[in-house]
Amino acid sequence: MAGFLSTLRRLYLTLYNWTLFFGWVQVFYFCIKQLKESGHQHVYNAVERPLQFSQTAAVLEILHGLVGLVRSPVSATLPQIGSRLYVTWGILWSFPEVRNHILVTSLVISWSITEIIRYAFYGMKETFGFAPSLLIWLRYSTFLLLYVTGISSEIGLIYLALPYMKESGKYSYRMPNKWNFSFDYFYAAILVLAIYAPGSPHMYSYMLVQRSKALSKSKKE
Amino acid sequence: MKVSVVSRSGREVVKGGIQLSDSASVADLQDAIHKRTKKFYPARQRLTLPVQPGSKERPTVLNSKKSLREYCSDNSDSITVVFKDLGPQVSYRTLFFFEYLGPLILYPIFYYFPVYQFFGYKAERVIHPVQTYAMYYWCFHYFKRIMETFFVHRFSHATSPLSNVFRNCAYYWSFGSYIAYYVNHPLYTPVGDLQMKIGFAFGLLCQVSNFYCHILLRKLRSPEGNGGYQIPKGFLFNIVTCANYTTEIYQWVGFNIATQTFAGYVFLVVAALIMTNWALAKHRRLKKLFDGKEGRPKYPRRWVILPPFL
Repeated sequence: MAGFLSTLRRLYLTLYNWTLFFGWVQVFYFCIKQLKESGHQHVYNAVERPLQFSQTAAVLEILHGLVGLVRSPVSATLPQIGSRLYVTWGILWSFPEVRNHILVTSLVISWSITEIIRYAFYGMKETFGFAPSLLIWLRYSTFLLLYVTGISSEIGLIYLALPYMKESGKYSYRMPNKWNFSFDYFYAAILVLAIYAPGSPHMYSYMLVQRSKALSKSKKE
Repeated sequence: MKVSVVSRSGREVVKGGIQLSDSASVADLQDAIHKRTKKFYPARQRLTLPVQPGSKERPTVLNSKKSLREYCSDNSDSITVVFKDLGPQVSYRTLFFFEYLGPLILYPIFYYFPVYQFFGYKAERVIHPVQTYAMYYWCFHYFKRIMETFFVHRFSHATSPLSNVFRNCAYYWSFGSYIAYYVNHPLYTPVGDLQMKIGFAFGLLCQVSNFYCHILLRKLRSPEGNGGYQIPKGFLFNIVTCANYTTEIYQWVGFNIATQTFAGYVFLVVAALIMTNWALAKHRRLKKLFDGKEGRPKYPRRWVILPPFL
């Protein structure tokens, strides 16, 4: 029974990781193709569907951590995936005004390369039980640069969307009402930006620790 | 007697160890460590007996009131203690004072000053009576808590880590401002007159009861402060283990009935959850301690914190 379950788990994770690998390959391919053919203004339109699909599917990763399917702690996956979902749906999908900005291109390239490597790494591990050392090195090294470009693009896009949030009042609920409740998407976005300030260095140093752990381990083997 | 003080990694903290008289207490040892290291005053020190490497059991913490002899193995004239730096400490009074000072100052700012202009509300603000009462109620509450901190509470631990000051202030100050923003808002919608009166009256009753609960708790801890646990008795403690939390929570219920803001109810739920965790821990500890065996009294059947629910 236990053997059956572990086979099932491996089968599922193999399928999951390779599906998302191909999802992000698509994002990357469409992005580059569009960039060559017509310029950065149209990158978003080219990648929208696969980007939304792949990024939203990552919610499952939080669940995997919660039910113990994988070992990565929820405290690490939740902020990472949460912030990505916020940018994907809460910014890019909700405020089309920012879509033609060059930061969308840097965002999509940073995210997709990171994720292609990451899912290839996990896909290999689930399918074959090991990952080539080059892949391990890439998995724990590319973030040194791509984290910086990715997070900068995220922050930049949230910042660019601010005036449109204020102007449109989208997703905002105002006083007066019986329960004296209000919600302002504009201020919520400023709060998100404020969380990025301590949050990003924290995640970066977390990844640095993971890097030294993973690379010293792979050297020993 | 010779004492070696080592860190958890086995490094010597005080070079050459410390020579103490045979009748020395743990407190004397802590003073000696302070003298030698300069930096680590007694409240910063956590002294334990060494444990076997690899063993999972928790180490014995040295009680500063006890004699060092009690921790020595028979006839031995030397002892090794493990030292851990707890980091900078502040007294509980300081911690509480700064926690409560924030809401006490921030709330009236929203009431008295034209802060809402910065949020885009230019029109003249009409203040409802409930907003005035709420401001006095709020300020009375935090003034009471500060006064209790200095004149009523007896703390079982003398100090708390400095980092808690920042964490707790962030919690109290931001929730205080969040609620103050809504209750004093120019577009605030008041509840009916009767509901307001019921809310404030119930809340005040709970605040007075809360004060009485704190007096009772003070009497429970003797001035010598042996720190031992006792069964709380009298007034609401005869029904609830943590009547002090009960009255605190219901006092916020009263405030929220009268003012009716979403923000206030969020705070109520968060505060109730935090206090429930504390109360459950205390209830379990008391039940375990007073199990009715070997002459120990049996802990009576009581609600934990929120009658008639828990």
